[in-house]
Amino acid sequence: MADDTLLVAGSWAAAMLRSSTPLMMVTLGETLTQRVGIVNLGIEGQMLCGACVGFAVAAQTGSPVLGLVAGAIAGLLLSLVHGVLCLGCGANQIGSGIAVWTLGLGLTSYFGRSAVGGKVSGLAPLAGPGFADVPFAGPILTQLTPIAPLAIVIVIVAGVWLYRTRTGLNWRITGESFQTARALGIRPMMVQAQGILVGGMLSGFAGAILSVDYTQTWANEMSKGRGFVAVGLVIVARWNPYLVLPVVLLFGLSEAATLRLQATGLTLSPYLIGCLPYAVCLVCVIVVSIREGRIGGMPAELVSVFGRRS
Amino acid sequence: MSGIGRNNLVAACGGGVAFLLAAMIFLFAIGRPPLTTLGQMAFYAFGDGYSISESFVKATPILLCALAVILPARLGLISVGGEGQLYFGALTGTAVVVSFPHAPIFLLLPAMLAAGAIGGAIWGGAAGLLRARCNVNETISTLLMNYIAVLLVNYAIFGAWKDPASLGWPASIQFPPAATVPSLFGTRVHAGLIVGVIAAIVLHVAVSHTRWGIALKVLSGNRKVGAMAGFSFLRQTLLVMAVGGALAGFAGICETSAIQGRLQGGLSVGYGLTGFLVAWLSGQHFLRAIPIAILIGGLIAAGDALQLYSKIPSSSATILQGLLFVAALGASGLAGRRSARHG
Repeated sequence: MADDTLLVAGSWAAAMLRSSTPLMMVTLGETLTQRVGIVNLGIEGQMLCGACVGFAVAAQTGSPVLGLVAGAIAGLLLSLVHGVLCLGCGANQIGSGIAVWTLGLGLTSYFGRSAVGGKVSGLAPLAGPGFADVPFAGPILTQLTPIAPLAIVIVIVAGVWLYRTRTGLNWRITGESFQTARALGIRPMMVQAQGILVGGMLSGFAGAILSVDYTQTWANEMSKGRGFVAVGLVIVARWNPYLVLPVVLLFGLSEAATLRLQATGLTLSPYLIGCLPYAVCLVCVIVVSIREGRIGGMPAELVSVFGRRS
Repeated sequence: MSGIGRNNLVAACGGGVAFLLAAMIFLFAIGRPPLTTLGQMAFYAFGDGYSISESFVKATPILLCALAVILPARLGLISVGGEGQLYFGALTGTAVVVSFPHAPIFLLLPAMLAAGAIGGAIWGGAAGLLRARCNVNETISTLLMNYIAVLLVNYAIFGAWKDPASLGWPASIQFPPAATVPSLFGTRVHAGLIVGVIAAIVLHVAVSHTRWGIALKVLSGNRKVGAMAGFSFLRQTLLVMAVGGALAGFAGICETSAIQGRLQGGLSVGYGLTGFLVAWLSGQHFLRAIPIAILIGGLIAAGDALQLYSKIPSSSATILQGLLFVAALGASGLAGRRSARHG
């Protein structure tokens, strides 16, 4: 009996981790981009690009690893557009982000047509089916691919890097004050460019995880606004890479819970359940926005993009 | 003043040239003769009476959604919620039709249109309320609410409102003639276009010639000064978001009633997003949005025609919109930087 409970708990944890890995990567990417004082709403389009290119490469080569790498590169290339528009031309960041989204949406639905309905084989699970009965760890090991632990490691490395290294400090300074960064001899424009590109790479990687590792298919607009949910979760996580982990996991837990509830016979329309991620994200943003003044954490350079506080 | 005008002109020309170049590179890359295809697109957009009427059909929801972006922008708010407001307006408007399908036209038509506008106003106003009361960034809330509104429409048409006569196709009942927005000149162009143009003119006059316009201008510049002058940020935020939402919601119910004839998925092919693009191309200017909406409507209509006749997927129109947006943002950004440098 106790074993059963542990098995159920294990499969819950596995489901939660699997469904939240893409979101974890894209949220981390947007966190790092916003830490240098740039908002990129184009991550939704970059994610789509990563998903589409990653899927196509994985299907062509038969290698999911190559697909994931290609997805990350695709996201990075599309984020270049945001970088050129915002930094090179001085365009409005919100407008530029929507433009990048439109571009990613159009490009993937145009070039992704031939891949619709295809299937790829994802990465192998951490352990073979022989481990399925091990309490708690069994379902996790047999259902998870190496991507989920890798993502957690990436989040922690990013946190250590941002708070414990010299370049991380330079990034934080740039996000707090462009002018101070310049006075300190940091080239803030270069740092911001790096921030945009790292965010692009992570969002492309997230998209590729979604198509190659998680669903193992490609469908038009398959990221379904995860990029925008990520922008909301960045605010909830107070622009702190470490906090991305619990915030995204709690979010994933609420998603997994509703899916499980549905399986137990609760008859709710899948379309209503589909609203949940957006509604939960919105409620979380509302709660932290009300307490905005007391919590803090927003990089000061972002204020000009997000607007003054009342 | 003339310097600013010249810079705007340079930006418009530069953006136009950059867009045409990018479009030709894209068409070349997909193996189409660039100049011929662009010529074809121009013809399919405005070549004959039928193409022009189809361009106007597409321009109608785009114009209304653009107004739903421009009005909040006058208060310094960036709303990307046109799509969600359009869908929610279609939902509430259809609710009236589904509830009273046999009501006479003089009751049903106005009630349906009002319900659509009110639905859009609620959806937009909610984001406005969150902005003003809870300090929630309106860009993020409107983006998230877009997805919720689309899912709610799907919930209705896959569930309670599904017409048994439609043989499994997820759609509401066919709208009766008493709930059909009248069309113009025997084409598919409907009265929504006239409402859009009138709304643009009224809003332009209201914002540039009334005390209300001054309130928006002062509040968008400095909220504290606005408060001292007796203008309420809360009230104005609610007002611009709700009025904008009402226009987008009106677009949604018009599209459902006049074009689709029933509430079904795929009601909008990204009209909200396209409206956002039009608003930015117009420089957040109500009157300039009218011709630009018609031009972009032509681009989308041409995309549909190309799909039909030349087998080029209509998603190419989305790519072209993205390229246009990038070109316009780049050009206006560079021009702004130039004018800042030269005073």
